[in-house]
Amino acid sequence: MPPKGQEGDSSASTDSNSNSFFTVPAPIKRLFDKFPLTTYPANELPQRFQPNTANQLFVFTDARGARHGRPSFNPQCLKWQAYLKFVGIDFDITASNNHASPTGALPFLLPALPADTLNPIPSHKLQKWAIEQVHCEEEQQLNLRFEVYASLLDHRIRHAWLYMLYLDSENFDAVARRLYVEPATTNTVVRAALSHQLQQAARDELLKNSRYIDAADLEGDAGGAFEALSTLLGEDEHFFSRPNPGLFDASVFAYTHLILDDTLGWKKNRLAQLLREHPNLVQHRDRLLKFF
Amino acid sequence: MSSSFAAGDESVFERLQQRADPKVLEEQQNAVNERMQAIYQKAQSRLAELIDENSTLPCTISSVQVTSAPHTRRSFLERSLSPLLSENKGRPYTLSEALREVSATADKLGRFDLFHQPISVYLDESQGHNGMRNIDVYLATREKSRVLLKTGTDLGNAEGSAYGNLLWRNVFGGAETLNLNASLGTRTRSAYQAAFETPILGDPDFRLEVGGIASSTQKSWASHEEVVKGGWSKLRWISKSGHRHELGYNGFWRQLTGLAESASPTVRADAGDSVKSSIFHSWVNDQRDNALLPSRGYYAKAFNEVAGIGPLKGDVSFWKSEIETQGAIPIPVPGIKGDSGVSFTTGFRAGLLYPLGLDSNSRPQLSRVNDRFLLGGPTDVRGFRLCGLGPREGADSLGGDVYAAGSANLLFPLPRLGAEKPVRFQAFLNGGRLLPLRTSQKATPTTNGEVQDAMISTLSELQNGLPSIAAGFGIVYAHPVARFELNFSLPLVLRKGEEGRKGLQLGIGINFL
Repeated sequence: MPPKGQEGDSSASTDSNSNSFFTVPAPIKRLFDKFPLTTYPANELPQRFQPNTANQLFVFTDARGARHGRPSFNPQCLKWQAYLKFVGIDFDITASNNHASPTGALPFLLPALPADTLNPIPSHKLQKWAIEQVHCEEEQQLNLRFEVYASLLDHRIRHAWLYMLYLDSENFDAVARRLYVEPATTNTVVRAALSHQLQQAARDELLKNSRYIDAADLEGDAGGAFEALSTLLGEDEHFFSRPNPGLFDASVFAYTHLILDDTLGWKKNRLAQLLREHPNLVQHRDRLLKFF
Repeated sequence: MSSSFAAGDESVFERLQQRADPKVLEEQQNAVNERMQAIYQKAQSRLAELIDENSTLPCTISSVQVTSAPHTRRSFLERSLSPLLSENKGRPYTLSEALREVSATADKLGRFDLFHQPISVYLDESQGHNGMRNIDVYLATREKSRVLLKTGTDLGNAEGSAYGNLLWRNVFGGAETLNLNASLGTRTRSAYQAAFETPILGDPDFRLEVGGIASSTQKSWASHEEVVKGGWSKLRWISKSGHRHELGYNGFWRQLTGLAESASPTVRADAGDSVKSSIFHSWVNDQRDNALLPSRGYYAKAFNEVAGIGPLKGDVSFWKSEIETQGAIPIPVPGIKGDSGVSFTTGFRAGLLYPLGLDSNSRPQLSRVNDRFLLGGPTDVRGFRLCGLGPREGADSLGGDVYAAGSANLLFPLPRLGAEKPVRFQAFLNGGRLLPLRTSQKATPTTNGEVQDAMISTLSELQNGLPSIAAGFGIVYAHPVARFELNFSLPLVLRKGEEGRKGLQLGIGINFL
């Protein structure tokens, strides 16, 4: 490759003397600007993965799920994955883990535009970004009851979910270990350490809200929450009688789909029994699954 | 007579009042020194003669006594000292042989790092049976303190840290050491390390070390933090010719976490957990007169590491190989006797990372950001920012799979300080290249065959065009614990995106290119 001559003042290489103890006299600066004498084209990059130019949503999933855009096995990720699908945004999903996220938790999105942007969009800014992209409506503003019902999901159903997935040891070994721990490493010692960390985090989360953990209580609360959601949905296709599914539908679907998904390999699934008592919620889930 | 006395009378006072002539004083001093020297030499030669005359005198060593070693195990001392005893030798010594063996044993004992140096040797003669001369050996030892606690603060290459260090010598009375180290800093956020070392078979040059580490390091050049937990064990030995070897096993759990907002996609893709399980060997041959400021001699190091294959398991699989050499020659200056202090040193380093398949999976595991080489900075390729060479994505140095770097330095003593002071003026020219593994079609290799092709084409890419080069000059100061360099440098040749450094750069380290 022939040298490209004096195109030396690339921004990266002219930042010397940045600490302004003194200003460089003009003749010396002119001399400095002559360096480097030669600049070749940039080095190539080492790449373990193919670069992607589409919108990329980083979620918990496996390689097959990522290829086919299957629903993520993590409720938080699935909620946003479903929402972006419902509002009609094109994106690819990429298997990732919490360490990769700017907030420490998945999901986050790396937008295709502007080109070469490195700044990811964390989940709490995803809705705002989606609204800017496709000019969909912000449901929270349309319906005052949104927040009230959303808190049912974020607390009662989430807590029962945490218990069922992480603290029920049979389910943990059959589902959580396989989905979250085993892909991280092949080393058994590190797997044991990660498993312990996961279970401890779930326990801490539950103990934030109550002084002890009682499975029956958590399941009872979840049952009540399903009841309330079922009543809210009534005979409608989507929540709040909307013509198209939106963020609230995505939030409900994120849990109802995973609870009813037998391919996850649940050993004990009390939440599915409670959920099946409300056929309209099951039908709601089945309808939305067609988006995938 | 009287007159002369009277005449001399005044002059005595005068002479007393006069300042002593410095020349005379010096002569006197020289005379005294010569005299002392002569006496000493005479004594030495007398001793030598005496030993020489008796050098073939047969004698036995019947006892060896270590005068003070309250914390050292008897069995340990027995093991290292018993070869000296004649009863274990099977035949009597000649006197010169005995003296040589005694001094070698004292030297060996000294290398366990148990006792204050030097260990004085006393010999006593007793009447042995069968009429032979019998020597009793006394080794006057003084044990070093067993526990050494150090705390302090360090300021290094853009890093400040506080540390505490506990060295426990002679843990079980057999010259074992336990070293505990904790440090908190700006770049190395926290590091806790424990290492236990023991000599094997009573040989101070053959040691086993077992250690563990838990650390968290800010890697700002690639927008992340690396948390490492793991351990190692290694054998260390020094060959007869002074070559140092290490052979060991590493097992580390690495976690790439705490990514910056603007971390590059490549770093993001590598975020998370990985386990490196590897065996390694290193060989060092250091023939320099001074490691920090060599004026003659050479240094060579070879490091090889294999990770992930076969029973090693783990999440990464590669062969990593690195060489490092340094050579120095003094340059005579006409008109200056002896060492002029002017010297020329050169350094060369190179390395490659060859991806291997993990387990039965034949698909090669391409390198991760925490396994790849980094290049550039005040202690390797000067005139570049830390990790300023090689592939870059956004603000991140992604590292490379193949590198080569070299330097040439000319060192002069400073006019007023002279050649004896460990301070030099240096002029340097250095450069290097750091490349990712790419096939001849500039693609990422996916099969073993492609990896082979990629390695060949990447190695030939090293010679494509000039390397990235910087030149400059500065001051070098070799403090006993570290070398300091303050250089002014300008980059001459760059790849787009590489970060040269125009202006001053401070380097602190023990291992410079």
